[in-house]
Amino acid sequence: MFGKKIGAKRKYEHNVAGYVFISPWLLGFLLLTLWPIIQSFYLSFTQYSLLDSPTWVGTGNYEAIFQKDRLFVKSLVVTFTFVLFAVPIKLFFSLMVAMLLNRDLKGMSLYRTLIYFPSLIGGSIAVAALWRNMFGLDGYINHILSWFSIEGIGWVSNPKTALSTLILLSAWQFGSTMVIFLAGLKQIPRDLYESASVDGAGLFRKFYNITIPMLSPVIFFNLVLGIINAFQMFTSAFVITAGGPANSTYMYVLFLYEKAFKQFQMGYASALGWILLLIIGVLTLINFVASKYWVHYESDGGK
Amino acid sequence: MKTAKPWLKMLTTGILASALVISGCSSSKSSESPNTPAAASEKNLKIMWWGSDGRHEATNKVLDLYTSKNEGIKFTPEFTAWDGYWSKLPTLSASRTLPDVMQMDAAYIESYVKRGLLADLSDLDLSGIVDESVLENVKIDGKLYGIPLSYNGQAMVYDKAGLEQYGITLPQNNWTWEDFFNFAREARTKLPNDKYPIDDLRNIWEWYQFYQTSKGLGPIFKDGKFNLDKDTWMEFNNIYAEFSEKGIVPKADLQLSSKENDPQTDTFAKGRVLLRGSSVGSATAVEALLPNGDIQVNSYPIGTAGGGWAQSTIFFSINAESKSIEEAKQFLKWFISDQEAGKILGTTRGIPINSEVLGSIESTLTSGEKLGIQLLDAAKTNALPFYPAPAGAEDFTATYKSELESVMFGQITLEQAYETLVEKGKVAESNNS
Repeated sequence: MFGKKIGAKRKYEHNVAGYVFISPWLLGFLLLTLWPIIQSFYLSFTQYSLLDSPTWVGTGNYEAIFQKDRLFVKSLVVTFTFVLFAVPIKLFFSLMVAMLLNRDLKGMSLYRTLIYFPSLIGGSIAVAALWRNMFGLDGYINHILSWFSIEGIGWVSNPKTALSTLILLSAWQFGSTMVIFLAGLKQIPRDLYESASVDGAGLFRKFYNITIPMLSPVIFFNLVLGIINAFQMFTSAFVITAGGPANSTYMYVLFLYEKAFKQFQMGYASALGWILLLIIGVLTLINFVASKYWVHYESDGGK
Repeated sequence: MKTAKPWLKMLTTGILASALVISGCSSSKSSESPNTPAAASEKNLKIMWWGSDGRHEATNKVLDLYTSKNEGIKFTPEFTAWDGYWSKLPTLSASRTLPDVMQMDAAYIESYVKRGLLADLSDLDLSGIVDESVLENVKIDGKLYGIPLSYNGQAMVYDKAGLEQYGITLPQNNWTWEDFFNFAREARTKLPNDKYPIDDLRNIWEWYQFYQTSKGLGPIFKDGKFNLDKDTWMEFNNIYAEFSEKGIVPKADLQLSSKENDPQTDTFAKGRVLLRGSSVGSATAVEALLPNGDIQVNSYPIGTAGGGWAQSTIFFSINAESKSIEEAKQFLKWFISDQEAGKILGTTRGIPINSEVLGSIESTLTSGEKLGIQLLDAAKTNALPFYPAPAGAEDFTATYKSELESVMFGQITLEQAYETLVEKGKVAESNNS
């Protein structure tokens, strides 16, 4: 019993050391993250324009959002469409590139660097501005189309194509997902492929029966992060289309931003933020539940 | 056990230290106003404005000039672009750290006045510096809250060579809306297919408002009441629908890819559209768009009540809670009347409000700045007041844009758009009361 007590104390001492070491982060978290989160929760029940002090309106903001706000519905439709297309396309594309880069070729590390390079600048304003010019009425895309005597349209200024342009941009920013896939692919033991070859398995069969199951934890990880990031998409919608034309690219976070900093309805915007958190939380939960049926962990001992 | 104590000590000291730092920060914020004087005689004025690089440089020089002439007055300048400015100012206001002097715009000043954030400057004697009528025009509820810095106004510009090349009748000053529409119809018959006489500005709420106010029906929000005249609005938009169908105005996706004054996309800069509106403030930018063009100025289309506007829209206002209101007032008076300062500032804030200052720089004006003066002259004759959207109508104006874009792309009917606008307009009306 005595010995046990000493042990418990030791453990406690170790914890203190740990807290001291992470205290810079901890302070930052408490002051810059947790406190604003609590504040925004309070503000979501108020009307607050920054110029006046907040006034309590109870669940008024939430009621207005769910019952009256057409833009809320519109922005959700746009965002869900975006997530539904952008995430799978990006995952598929980055997996394919990762597999290409997983071969043993001379100078492969150079290719990897080159292909990863755009991702370093991918999410920035500069690339968004570039994209706007490329897909503009007088942009490169229409220039190339004109070689084949196809008359281009204003891709980003037409409500039918504007969202697809943003989805394409998001798929093009595949770098970090690809790097994670590549690391996952490297972990798959070679002998699995070799023995499959001996048994006469073709390329597709190897991909379907070895690569996919062995890679499923990595796919799962990328899927969850991809969905979360896609829901928070802001920069490109803000810079390239500003939500237009005719609200066809009015992403949820852009809606939130405009409520907060253009219309100065901080309470309303906070409520929108909490609703987004809830949506992402529920989707992530569903993902985790569903993962039991398709994600395969080697450490669990096979099936 | 023994090793635990130093750790614990460190932790507690750490927490204490950081608590001190934090409380120190917050107490200094709450107790000190932004301009606590370092010495009794020395005043530090915090001053903020938005604008472009040219304005920043010139203003900084003028602030240094004032400091060199007035011992004990120092400035802490802060400057950003337009967008950032209007999201930063409310944040500063929320933390009660508004600068002593801040640049204000006609579109925003009322919402700041309404909340008592700006000092009343009515007792500052500006006779002989600014026209009495100009001052009367910018007063809010009979009081002066912003010192007007320059003249602004709205008129039209056209590419004379471009029009003459195709034998199109040139527009006339003080033409009517009917003339304006007929000009477009006539020009269509003479222009090649990829050129258009005018833009399709249905999604810009101000553009329609010009139509309504020129007919004497008042602005969309008249004394806080929603005042969109349905018949006039339908008539206006039906004309544009017809124009769109007949190719008199650019197709919607071409129109929406145009960003005003952006040399890459602006329809006027590209020579796709030959006539459009321009404010005095953007004259230099417009002039730069067509360096080889022959830009001429024309008034807005007018109706029975007039047309376009000519008014001061940029002000310097003073924080109502500032500890140096008197010093700030004297500085502002100097800022708009001193000739030396005027020479440095040039037209970085538009055409100077003081006629003597304007006279002293007239000989050095560039062609772009001269274009601004022409625009102002064209706008003045029949000018209506400037009607900004009232506070609380932000959602209405955003909705106006997106709804009318949906109309332009044929996604909804005009009737549907109208219903949405009425709904949003009523909300804005109740926000404002």
